[in-house]
Amino acid sequence: MIAPEYVATLDPFVAEAKRLVETSPPLDSMPQEIVDRAIARVKWASREMVVEPNAEAIRADVLSFYLMCQGVAAVSYPYSREARLISEATKETIKYRMYDLFKRGHEESCLDVVKRSLKLVQLEGGDGAKLGGIEIPREDFYKIRDRRLAQDGIETIDDRLLPQYLPRYAVRWTDLAPLLRHRRAELTRLYLVNGRAVITPRDLWDLFSNFIAVRTEEYVASVYERFSDVGAPSKRLAEVGERISSLLPPELGLPERFARVPMGKLRLEFFPPCVKIAMGGVGPGLRNYAITVLLTSFLSYARASPSGRAATRIGDFITDISVVRDEIAAPIFEAAERCKPPFFKDQPQEKGNIYYHLGFGMTTEPRLEDSGISKWYRVPNCSKIQMSAPPLCDPDELCRKIKNPLTYYFRKLSEQAMSGVGG
Amino acid sequence: MREASPDERRQFYSEEWNKRELPDFILHTLSLREFGFDLDGTGPSHRYNQFMTVEQLAEYLQNRTPYSTFTSVALYEQPSMRKGWMKSELAFDIDAKDLPLKSCNCASGSVCELCIDEARRIAMEFAETMSKDLGLHNINFVYSGRGFHIRVIDDAIMTLEQTERAQIVEYITGSVIPTDIAMALGYSQVFRERLARTFEGMDEQRLSKVRGFRRSVIQKLMAEKERALGAIRRGKLDELSEFEGIGPKTFRQLLEFLVRLNSEFTDGKVTIDTKRILRLPSSLHSGVSMKCMLVRDIGRFKLEDAVPKFVHERGH
Repeated sequence: MIAPEYVATLDPFVAEAKRLVETSPPLDSMPQEIVDRAIARVKWASREMVVEPNAEAIRADVLSFYLMCQGVAAVSYPYSREARLISEATKETIKYRMYDLFKRGHEESCLDVVKRSLKLVQLEGGDGAKLGGIEIPREDFYKIRDRRLAQDGIETIDDRLLPQYLPRYAVRWTDLAPLLRHRRAELTRLYLVNGRAVITPRDLWDLFSNFIAVRTEEYVASVYERFSDVGAPSKRLAEVGERISSLLPPELGLPERFARVPMGKLRLEFFPPCVKIAMGGVGPGLRNYAITVLLTSFLSYARASPSGRAATRIGDFITDISVVRDEIAAPIFEAAERCKPPFFKDQPQEKGNIYYHLGFGMTTEPRLEDSGISKWYRVPNCSKIQMSAPPLCDPDELCRKIKNPLTYYFRKLSEQAMSGVGG
Repeated sequence: MREASPDERRQFYSEEWNKRELPDFILHTLSLREFGFDLDGTGPSHRYNQFMTVEQLAEYLQNRTPYSTFTSVALYEQPSMRKGWMKSELAFDIDAKDLPLKSCNCASGSVCELCIDEARRIAMEFAETMSKDLGLHNINFVYSGRGFHIRVIDDAIMTLEQTERAQIVEYITGSVIPTDIAMALGYSQVFRERLARTFEGMDEQRLSKVRGFRRSVIQKLMAEKERALGAIRRGKLDELSEFEGIGPKTFRQLLEFLVRLNSEFTDGKVTIDTKRILRLPSSLHSGVSMKCMLVRDIGRFKLEDAVPKFVHERGH
């Protein structure tokens, strides 16, 4: 028998897990063993991923998961390499735990958790080859098995492992939308019958663990947005994040999933609607907010993509001042010129204010060594933009799912990177 | 298919247009949709319109007698500002004038009964896959004036974003080569059917566009088209590469050429764009003097049903 709280180790976003967090001390005051566990999660291999079925172990697991996520959000940005590192590690962990539970005969407990997120049914018939009255041809049945074996690189298999490779369930494909969106699943690779994808237990572990990985990335994004609202994260969280960041593999030879997504030239086509409006120039009453507050913070954070430590100085993430002048300040000045009337024509002092908001103090000649003289302002959350400059907010469907313009940008970049389409 | 004159547009909206011809799926969400109008044939530049009641819409149509009328596939909290996106239909646009393969001799940009019927058959194929494989059931067909729109309003897909919609386009059109082409059901079957349909429509001239294809090979393929089609339908694509002169590289190029054509049977941009506006069923397509209309039985659709009265009166 598995303890009811054990579900939290398979899905850290279920109500049971949230209750555990709510009834525990704040994450930034966690004991050292939880901190160490939060960092170790990234490197776990096989049995290390398994949690003992007792309340204390489950609690430690859940708290370390949230500490890991919040630590990463403290030192990077949505869909950063760090976010990918922990989402991949989480995927592997969940997958192994599901495998382990199946192996120990706890398939039903596992399915109970899965069914909270995905509409799952068992294939019908003694030999499991029917779905909603539709017969799955025998040949297809075995091809699904063989395809999965080939995917896992297995040529011969013993009877003990074989059941994991036989189609046993069907899952509603629309429930897999988050995976399709992040290209963690491809519709044309699913075996679809009447709205459901026929899958093996192996596929189920993959799909569900990927599902949790996507939610982990989304959670990191939401924490990042919260930090934008309430100010800099605590030192303890930043320390955890820095330690995780130091575990990133070097950029060269990175597996595709860890590849750095956003660093590099700004991609205008992925800017959110509010930033596009600001880039086009705005009228009186809006100019200060659009140019000095929104564009300055957005372009600088989007370009610098600060990761590895808490973002307090742009100089920690950029090594050449020309990036600030040519790639961040120049488009801001051009947008200011497009305002009606041109922003700096009647308010020339605002030029210096741009650099002030970037952290270089009140100047028009920024130097890298001056970075940090003033505060590097974070990108305001959508709610603040709506309140302070409503005409800038013309949300599209993605806007509904994010709370900060930067999340929009990094998510678009991430989707593009996953789709394999070049820039 | 001559352009409607301003008088004919007036006649259509005062005598023939009927609110009962608005499909329920639009009628029930009328106030949540953005309406766009082309008032003079220069394009739909009058956007951001909202109608709270069907009577308001009727009044607008009768007073302004627009050249074309459009409505959004999206539902918004504030349609007049296109703000507060709630969800969007899944829409496919199959335009007869843009079909990559046509058996008629229509001039480019024109349509005839034959190619409209070809568009109708494509729409039926797409809808069948949506129903059989994707499990979608609320599938509506609209004759657009020059082809067909498929408008799916199953709740499960209306909140999907662009990436997922792009994947649906790939699936429905058969524009990705599957890992296993010979499975009886699923995408493998869809791909075989689309590939066979496209290959069936090929002639020597079209095949000559495949890079690396020698004339003798093209002639051989055409002479043994039925054999090749049989191989495609059975999922035995390797048999195609057994045709003399088709090496693995040429075979790959042929396959990629056909797959690219598969993707052109619908305008994927329409499906992916969740804020697209489409011609309003019941309205007049003035460019061709045809009614854009909901088609209740696509299998029995007749072009005559979409001909406005004023066209019949033209001869008198």
